[in-house]
Amino acid sequence: MTLVLIFAGLELTFGIYAVASKSILRSAIGLALASAMLSTVFYALGAQLASVFELSVCSGLVTVIFISGVSLSHSPKLDLQGEYRDRERNRYLPALLIGGGAVMLALGFLLGGGGLEFAADSAQSAQEVLWGSRQAEVWGQIAAILCGGVAVTVLFREERRDR
Amino acid sequence: MLSVGYMLLTVGVLMVLAGCWCMIRTLHMLKITIGIEVAMKGVTLFLVLAGRVSGQLALSQTFILTIIVIEVVVAVVGTGMAVGLFRKYGSMSVRNLSRLKG
Amino acid sequence: MLSVCAHGFILAPIAVVLIYNLLGRDFARRHFVWFAGAGTVWQLGSAFAAFALLWRTGGGSYRFSIFWDMRAPGAAYFELSTLKVFLLLMIGLVSLVSVLVARQTIDANRSSYANLLMILMLGMNGMLLVTDLFSLYVFMEVTGICCFVMIAMFRSRADLEGAFKYLVMSEMASIFLLTGFAFLFMRTGSLRYEDLQGLTATGGLLEDRLVGVAMVLLLSGFSIKTGAVPFHSWLPDAHQSADTSVSVLLSGIVIKIAGVYGLMTVCRLFEGFSSMRTVLAVLGAVSILAGALLAARQGHFKRVVAYSSVSQMGYILLALSTGTTLGLIGALAHILSHAVFKTTLFANAAALHEQAGTLELDEMGGLEERMPKTALSSVIAFLSLAGIPPTLGFWSKLLILLALWQSGKQGLAAFALLASIFTSAYMLRLQKKAFFGHIRDSLTDVREATGTVLAAELLLTALTVLIGCAYPFILSALGAQGLL
Repeated sequence: MTLVLIFAGLELTFGIYAVASKSILRSAIGLALASAMLSTVFYALGAQLASVFELSVCSGLVTVIFISGVSLSHSPKLDLQGEYRDRERNRYLPALLIGGGAVMLALGFLLGGGGLEFAADSAQSAQEVLWGSRQAEVWGQIAAILCGGVAVTVLFREERRDR
Repeated sequence: MLSVGYMLLTVGVLMVLAGCWCMIRTLHMLKITIGIEVAMKGVTLFLVLAGRVSGQLALSQTFILTIIVIEVVVAVVGTGMAVGLFRKYGSMSVRNLSRLKG
Repeated sequence: MLSVCAHGFILAPIAVVLIYNLLGRDFARRHFVWFAGAGTVWQLGSAFAAFALLWRTGGGSYRFSIFWDMRAPGAAYFELSTLKVFLLLMIGLVSLVSVLVARQTIDANRSSYANLLMILMLGMNGMLLVTDLFSLYVFMEVTGICCFVMIAMFRSRADLEGAFKYLVMSEMASIFLLTGFAFLFMRTGSLRYEDLQGLTATGGLLEDRLVGVAMVLLLSGFSIKTGAVPFHSWLPDAHQSADTSVSVLLSGIVIKIAGVYGLMTVCRLFEGFSSMRTVLAVLGAVSILAGALLAARQGHFKRVVAYSSVSQMGYILLALSTGTTLGLIGALAHILSHAVFKTTLFANAAALHEQAGTLELDEMGGLEERMPKTALSSVIAFLSLAGIPPTLGFWSKLLILLALWQSGKQGLAAFALLASIFTSAYMLRLQKKAFFGHIRDSLTDVREATGTVLAAELLLTALTVLIGCAYPFILSALGAQGLL
């Protein structure tokens, strides 16, 4: 369980790095690392299937999407210019996070350790649940994927075809 | 001593806070999309924690699979719009987004 | 028979998308409106049939599943009930109007419209049919993504801007909702409606206290989707920037299904939380007033109409806040009348944009003599919006006022009545600036709208008057079922 906490802490660190970093490329990489750490947390908590998907899709595919977005727009060097004023606008982010963390911890101690004890797991496997009783979600996923396909054809179409 | 579940809850809350901050304060459009993803990471952590606490881990895994699919589609759409706006304005700053007012 | 209709709500849109994309590209592009039209007509027809069948059996519900065993323990299933079929009917009606408008405003280069409309319908149908909060979220997200892409379809600056703002707000709502669902899931271990009923926030454990937090998150998430004040900032931008055929969909149905239906579900599941109704009442009252005041100072035709949507959503929230059957019927009646008069106004906007070439109120004026039919339909929509008998809007507002009065909220009822004056004020300003007065020199050669846009206007105007006149019979039928 200590391992879970260490990886969760790393996930938080990389997530904050993604938010606070000045360069958009580093943000994307921070997000990928946070995602990878999250998948380790999933694995340690026993959610193996979700862990695999998180690692391959979220820290793989999503990063590819963001990096291709960066390369379609401009070189990462340009971000160092002060146009987005990230440092100035993120000035109060540490205060917010430290305050939020302190409030949460204080509440936890007030509640006497916080509760949220882990229960014994039911013996079902995720595949059984997904294909056996939750097919409504499968239809939703089909709709979402169709929608993503149409979105790609609409949004990434070449400019000249518009005329 | 705080329980592991509560610590994970705290981490999730902080992730969601950081992501929402990024969505509200950042001027860079791609980074706003990254902020959405960061907050979603926090939310998936909540869900797997909920699965462990209620003993229905299999169910929460199917939820997470679905969320991952949706996350990808949202990332594609957000990036597509940001790139489209970049082609119009030559900048990723949301300060350009002021045509609609009133 | 009912089973064909029921399965069709999910399978028919997918079938249309598949057929449309498998056919020859040029053929499909040239006839995309017909594909979209076929899908909407199927939806309208099967919703009518299902409504008739369910009504005859006395308002029962019908459960079904597609390719899976719904009797397994903990299995999800789809469910049809009279309320849901009524909303499915609304989806069909508004989508049909959108297709009629799109026939003239969308060219063959944007033929993805047919795909997107079908997936949007699938998303909204799914939202209504599911019996599980998480599936509700999945289909809501599908609806939302389709809307972003539809708004951004023309890829002009304004389009992309409106769509991006909508995306950010909508994802914020998703994050709130999912966090709320996770907290509920922590307590119950399931998100099916039947397992969540009767949940309360009392108890010593942290899980129990988190249920209260979850309520707040769910309310704010769905309020963002509804566009209630103070979460309304995306709504006018998205409506103004989108093509008019998409604005019809957004205002006519999407905010109602994705937002109001979600709130309805939450209210029904968590009847024990009485503070939730207070919050809804406050949100509703603020929305009515702020929406009307903001609408009165806009300079763009579609923007005025969009703010008017914010204000009218307030009435629906007020009706929901009563928590009685009469309130629910009032909300549904107002969803019907709002769908009809708001789509009329957007069809008028399409006609004005097509013929006069502008939607800025300052550049219009005196168009009544050039476009008499459009002006007439706009005036009737205004009467309905202001609640003048015998139009549709009068009856639905009457039902809402009665529901408020009956549940002991006389003050709110009086407020809702008084706020109608503001509604009349901004709509009168709109009418005066667009249609009345002297015609401008630049607009002297404007012609009346033609083709399907005109057909849509006339159809909706006829619906406003005819259903309005038939309302006493509808009410007596409801009374015979013991619902009033």
